[in-house]
Amino acid sequence: MDADVIKQKNKRKKNHTYAISSAKDFTCVLPALVLLAVFTYYPIVEVIRISFTDWNLINDSYQYVGLKNWKWLFAGSGTKYLLNSLKVTALYSLGEIAITLGGGLLFALLFNRITKTFSVLRAVVFMPRYVAMSSAAVVFLWIFNKDNGILNYFLQTIGLNKVDWLGNKNVALISVLILTGWRAIGYGMMIYLSAMLSISKDYYEAAALDGANSSQRFWKITIPMLSPTTLFLLVTTFLSSMKVFQSVDILTGGGPYRSTEVIVYMIYKYAMQDFRMDRASTVAVMFFFILLVVTALTMKVSKKSVNYDS
Amino acid sequence: MRTMSNLDYSSNESAILRKKIAKVLQYIVAIIVTIIIAFPIYWMLVSSVKSQEEILLTIPTLWPKEWHFENYVNVFKRANFGKYYINTIIMTAGILISEIMTGILAAYGFSIGKFKGQNILFLIILGALMIPIQVTFIPIYIMFADWGLTNTFLGLILPNTVSPYYIFMLRQTFLSVDNSYIEAARVDGMGRLGVIFKILVPMCKSTIVTITLVSFTSGWNSYFWPKIIAKDEPRVLTIGLAHLKNTFAGQATMNNHEIMAGAVMAVLPVIILFFIFQKYMLTGYSKAAMK
Repeated sequence: MDADVIKQKNKRKKNHTYAISSAKDFTCVLPALVLLAVFTYYPIVEVIRISFTDWNLINDSYQYVGLKNWKWLFAGSGTKYLLNSLKVTALYSLGEIAITLGGGLLFALLFNRITKTFSVLRAVVFMPRYVAMSSAAVVFLWIFNKDNGILNYFLQTIGLNKVDWLGNKNVALISVLILTGWRAIGYGMMIYLSAMLSISKDYYEAAALDGANSSQRFWKITIPMLSPTTLFLLVTTFLSSMKVFQSVDILTGGGPYRSTEVIVYMIYKYAMQDFRMDRASTVAVMFFFILLVVTALTMKVSKKSVNYDS
Repeated sequence: MRTMSNLDYSSNESAILRKKIAKVLQYIVAIIVTIIIAFPIYWMLVSSVKSQEEILLTIPTLWPKEWHFENYVNVFKRANFGKYYINTIIMTAGILISEIMTGILAAYGFSIGKFKGQNILFLIILGALMIPIQVTFIPIYIMFADWGLTNTFLGLILPNTVSPYYIFMLRQTFLSVDNSYIEAARVDGMGRLGVIFKILVPMCKSTIVTITLVSFTSGWNSYFWPKIIAKDEPRVLTIGLAHLKNTFAGQATMNNHEIMAGAVMAVLPVIILFFIFQKYMLTGYSKAAMK
C-alpha cells in the first residue's frame, strides 16, 4: 500500500518536473518562432492578401478588387513587363550559373597545382569574394565608364571600338554578369578544388591500371564524383541569382529600356518608386511561387541523379 | 631486351618534355588569369590615391603620378562617412547579437530539449528559408511605417533577428556533443543557461565563430532591406557608397578618386576580419560545400 502511494507520488512529481522542463525547453525556441511568425509568416500571408486589393500608398484607404491585379499581370498591360523580367532574370541566372560552375571548374583545373606559387594565385583569384558587392559595384561603374573607363581604354589600344557598357541595352546585362562573375568564379573554383581533393586516389590508380587516359579519367571519374558539389553549387547559385538586386541597382538601375530589369527590381520599382503596393505584391507572390517550384524541382532532381561516394 | 628498354627510355623522355611544357603553359595562363582577376582591386586602390586631374586624363595612368591620401579624409569630410560607419556598426551589432542569441537558444531547444510538437516546429523554422525578404518586404514596410519604424535602427534590425540556417547548423553541432557532458553538468545542478553557455557554446566554438563571421559579413554588406527601410537615415555604408555619386554634385566621373577611396574604406573592415579568421572562413565554406 505504502510503496504504491509513494510510487504514484513520485510518478506525479516526475510528470510535473517533466512538464516544467519541457515548458522551459519550449521557451528556448519561442523567441525564434515568434520573430519568424511576425516577420516572415505573417508578411507572406499579407502579401498574398494585398495582391487582391488596390493598395496605393498615395491613397488613404484601399478596397478589395478581386483578381484585377492578376489580370493586369497575366492578361493586361503588365504582362509584357513580367515576361521581360522573367526573360532577363532567366538569362542572368544562366549566366551566373555558367560562370560559377563552368568557369569555377575550369579554374579549378587550371589552378590545381599544390605549390606555394599556386596557393598564392588561388588566394588572389578568391579575393574578389571578399570585396563586398557595394564596393565592387562602384569600382566596376568606374571601370565600365564610357569615356574615362579603363576597359574602353584597353579596347581602344588594341584597336577596337568603345563599348557603352551600361548604356547599351544589348550589353548592359553582360556588364552586370561580368561584375557578378568576377566575384563568383573564385568561389566556384575553391568549392570544386576542395571537392576534387577529397576524391580518393584509388579510383584514378585503378583506372590507370585499366589503361584509361587522362581525359577518360576526367570524364568518367572526376565529373561524376563531383556531382554532389555541382548540384550544391547549382541549387545555391540558382536560388541566389533569382534574387539579384544590388548589382543591377547600382550599375544600371534596371535600364536601359528595362534590359536589366530583373524580377526583384520590378517588384522594388512598383513598390518603392510607384507606390503601387497592389501590383508589386502581385509580382512578389508570383515570384514566390516560382521560387517554390524551383526548390521543389531541385529537391526531386537531387534525390534522383546524384552520385554519392559512399 | 636492350631495345625494349631503350624505347621505354625515349618515350619517357618525350613524355617528361611534354609534361614540362604543359607545366610552363599552366603557369603562364594561371598568372595571366590571376592578373586579370586582380586588376579591378588594383584599380580601386590606385584610383583612390590619384588627383582629380589624373583621374580625368583620357589616357589613364597605371601608376599614380602623385599620391593623394587626402582623398580618404575628403570622403569623411564631404560625405559623412564617419556617421555611415557608426550606423553600420550599430546595425551589424544588433543583427549579429540577436541572430546568434535566438540561434543558440533555439538550437538548444531543438537538439537537447524535449517538448511536444518539436519536429513540426523545427520544420516551420526551416520553412522560413523558402520565404526571402524580397517577397515579404512590402507588408513589412507597411507594418513598420505604421509602427513608426522607418528610418530607425530597430527597423533595420528587426527583420534580421532570426536565421533558420544558423539554427539548423547549430542544432547539428549541438547534437554531436556527447550526452554524458550534459548529464554530468545537470547532476552538478547546472541549469539550462549554464549547460548552453558553459558546456555547449565552448565545445562548439568553431561553428559559433563561423556563424558569427558569416552573420557579421552579411549584416555589414546588407543592401536590399536598408535601401527599403532607411534610404536616408540612418544611412549605412552600402547605401552611402551607392549614393556617393549623387552626394558629389555633378558628374560622377569627376570624383571617382574619392568614390574609390570610399569603396576601399567600406571593404577594409571585412577584409581585415577575413585575414584574421581565414581558418574559420575556409572551414565554413567547406562545411557548406559538403551539405
